[in-house]
Amino acid sequence: MNHRPLTGLLLFLLLGGALPARAADAGLADTERRLEQRIDRLQEELDALRVELRALKGDASAVVAAAPPKPAAPPVPPAPQDAAPLAGASADLSLWGYGEAYYMRPTRIGASTEFDLARAVFGIGYRFDDRTVFNSEFEVEHAVSSAGDRGEVEVEQFFIDHQLADWAGVKAGLFLMPFGLLNEHHEPTNFYGVQRNFVETLIIPSTWREGGVALHGATTSGWRWDAGLTTGLNLQGWEANPEDPLYRTAYELGGGDAAPFQAMHQELQFARAQNLSQYLSLGYTGVPGLLAGAAVFTGKTALPAQPPGLPDVRATLWEAHARWTRGAADLSAVYARGTLSNTAAYNLANPGSSNPLPAAFLGYYLQGAYTVWQNDRYRLAPFVRVERYDLGASYDGIAPGFATVPVGLAADGKPWPQPRDRVWTAGANFYLNPHVVLKADYQHFSENPDLTRVDLGLGLSF
Amino acid sequence: MHHSSPRAFLLVAAASIALLLAGCEGDAGSSSANPAVSGLSVAARLGEQIFRDTALSASGRQSCATCHVRDFAFASDPTAAGPDRGLPVAVGGPAMTRTGFRNTPSIMYLAFAPTFAVDADGTPNGGFFRDGRAGTLAEQAIAPFLSAIEMANSDSAAVAARLSARPYFGDFVALYGSDVLADADVTLGRIGEALAAYEREDPEFRPFSSKFDAWRNGRVALSERELRGLALFNNPAKGNCAACHPSASADGVTPALFTDFSYDNLGVPRNGAIPANAPYPPDGTPLNGDDGLRPYYDLGLCGPFRDDGGRDRGALCGQFKVPSLRNVALTAPYFHNGRFATLREVLAFYVRRDTAPAEWYPVADGAVVLKFDDLPARYGGRFTVLADAPGSDAGYAGNVNTAEIPYNRRLGETPALDADDIDDVVAFLCTLTDGFDASTPAPQSLPPQCADPPVPAAAARIVTP
Repeated sequence: MNHRPLTGLLLFLLLGGALPARAADAGLADTERRLEQRIDRLQEELDALRVELRALKGDASAVVAAAPPKPAAPPVPPAPQDAAPLAGASADLSLWGYGEAYYMRPTRIGASTEFDLARAVFGIGYRFDDRTVFNSEFEVEHAVSSAGDRGEVEVEQFFIDHQLADWAGVKAGLFLMPFGLLNEHHEPTNFYGVQRNFVETLIIPSTWREGGVALHGATTSGWRWDAGLTTGLNLQGWEANPEDPLYRTAYELGGGDAAPFQAMHQELQFARAQNLSQYLSLGYTGVPGLLAGAAVFTGKTALPAQPPGLPDVRATLWEAHARWTRGAADLSAVYARGTLSNTAAYNLANPGSSNPLPAAFLGYYLQGAYTVWQNDRYRLAPFVRVERYDLGASYDGIAPGFATVPVGLAADGKPWPQPRDRVWTAGANFYLNPHVVLKADYQHFSENPDLTRVDLGLGLSF
Repeated sequence: MHHSSPRAFLLVAAASIALLLAGCEGDAGSSSANPAVSGLSVAARLGEQIFRDTALSASGRQSCATCHVRDFAFASDPTAAGPDRGLPVAVGGPAMTRTGFRNTPSIMYLAFAPTFAVDADGTPNGGFFRDGRAGTLAEQAIAPFLSAIEMANSDSAAVAARLSARPYFGDFVALYGSDVLADADVTLGRIGEALAAYEREDPEFRPFSSKFDAWRNGRVALSERELRGLALFNNPAKGNCAACHPSASADGVTPALFTDFSYDNLGVPRNGAIPANAPYPPDGTPLNGDDGLRPYYDLGLCGPFRDDGGRDRGALCGQFKVPSLRNVALTAPYFHNGRFATLREVLAFYVRRDTAPAEWYPVADGAVVLKFDDLPARYGGRFTVLADAPGSDAGYAGNVNTAEIPYNRRLGETPALDADDIDDVVAFLCTLTDGFDASTPAPQSLPPQCADPPVPAAAARIVTP
């Protein structure tokens, strides 16, 4: 009788519901690496259960010793008491986290070198029953957040997921959009390079989430689908006429003020929601080693009262992605393209501005990585990526005699950056274990050479 | 149940007569162009009466409306026949013989200004008066009552005494209660509140009825010249005017106000037409010059009219508030000291201040230019350059803004705007004049500087000492 709750939990874990809060991960652990991660986690859960079992048998000392939280990724198999869950914590509660720090040195402008704790994120999930889970993630960006600092505190996810049937569920709240390879799997251990690629930062916004409701599911033949009704963009977020360039370093570029979706998504902060947007995402994992998918989002953009009389602006974004892993090789590619309709009226209302609203923007990349060395839990995987982004593939309503980028020098004495580039990135991820990664890369920008940089990074995820 | 009784009729008649008398007494100037039908609150209607009442001044000849003239966008009438008798500063005082220190600003759209604040970086913003020394509209509105160079009441008790003899005094007491009369400072404070209510509520102060607004509302097209002027105004590599005078709404709700309420030091040349700038300034001038060269400097944020209680504001010396450009074609002369008479001259100064400083500042020996001559040397004023020697202006490190476009240029370089560009920007600035009616075929009546095609430069009157 004593053993019944434990048996139930064990059964649940073994039936594939491991890490109950990570619904987004479910069903995608096809690669060898992911299986390894899952086995690691199962091992930890089992260790925890062992401790609990011992406690139930009356070994009180083990419970007392279990008070400190478990280390993210112990280099040696943990002593049972180290791996115990928080004393008093429910088995239905899950905690996780990830974070990353960057050291970035622009090769041409050494004075712009920066070291930033880009994000520290902690997640809390709760399983109410076998059908209903809650997931949330809370993020601090840039280490310090206050009225006088540049950091931010954000709720990155906050949603309920309810299983309706074996093949379908419904989620509601603030959730990550199922676009590209990275958005739902943005932990630093999941991507190559110190920072996320530009296509999945500037075209598909980085950590893109919306508020809404969605249906989703998976089939036994390997198809995954997800369709929803969500909040969308707000044109008020676009800064039409900055006096100075919005970015002078690649890190500032990634900040996204110049990227349409990144600048205008609302992150469920008093989001204007008269017009809801729609999305559909499809994925296929039916062939071992292959992950392929595509998604489309469209919706009317919320318009400010000023300038008055703007016609509706429809924002549309679509993407296609594929990843193929076989043995030590890991290849991936993403293409994404966005459009905004009726931008001419907006641009005609702001003639001569330095950051006109683009009618189209796009990006794509190809990336290859190869695990060249592996020993126990250590792993070294160099990679190379070529990508193209164009934040202004076309414009409408530009004043005669004026360019889409100001001609001449900005106040800092340098030309204005061009909103497009081809970026070559070469580097390596070195995993201490599946949860901790050290990274290094070199990024070469062809058209905006001042953005070229060398990066070092530290990332973790548990 | 009751039909209007003779008694009620008599009351209305008496009130009407009282209103008429109020309109006559104290020479309230031209009768209100805004009939009493407006939806103004009681406080605002009271404020309007106070605004026009010269009997609240020591001279009996000056009210708010004397210097804030409706036809000049509630700035002053700059002509010789105007209240300033052609001076760039106001005339006032007990006998209307004193002269002021700054050019009278327009008070239109002023109610949108935020209160004065200094952010974490030490950057000031908002506030009222050209140096932001009044925190609120009401605080600003009462200051001229006590200023010795304006309405010249000796103290708030003198204002309260004058108020008690006015025909609208009963309305004042009815609104604010007789308690406020116990303390003259409180009485004066209520006067400020009434004036602020008037400035906030009366649409005359914020009509948003310019051609620019009609264009933004899709009711009229701007001309090619006006559109090009706006593009040059916006473009950060050309005029870059929008950097401080945004042409887009700040909050997406209020139409563009053409100011971000910030402060800047432009190094505007000294205006010898201001009596206080003379070698021997009139009595009452706050003599703050300590360089042995000038007895008086107007340093804006750091004095002499503003006092921040000993804070070190050295880096702010010479900064003045960025004004709204709405109706700017009507508010000549320009800048805090009224140094320039036309917009063309203002724009030429912006773009050629550094490329051709000899056009603007005193020149000695035919070649030595004394840049920023209205700022003491210790704040970066009186910077000497050689007009014919490019490079002689290197290394400037004073308070004057030399970092932003268009005034980041150097001696001999190409200005950010040429003469045609300047004409286009002026044409655009003229579209900011309220009173445009898209439904009337007759062109809007605009000042001569808005003539299209532009009048030859020689015809432009220039205020120079």
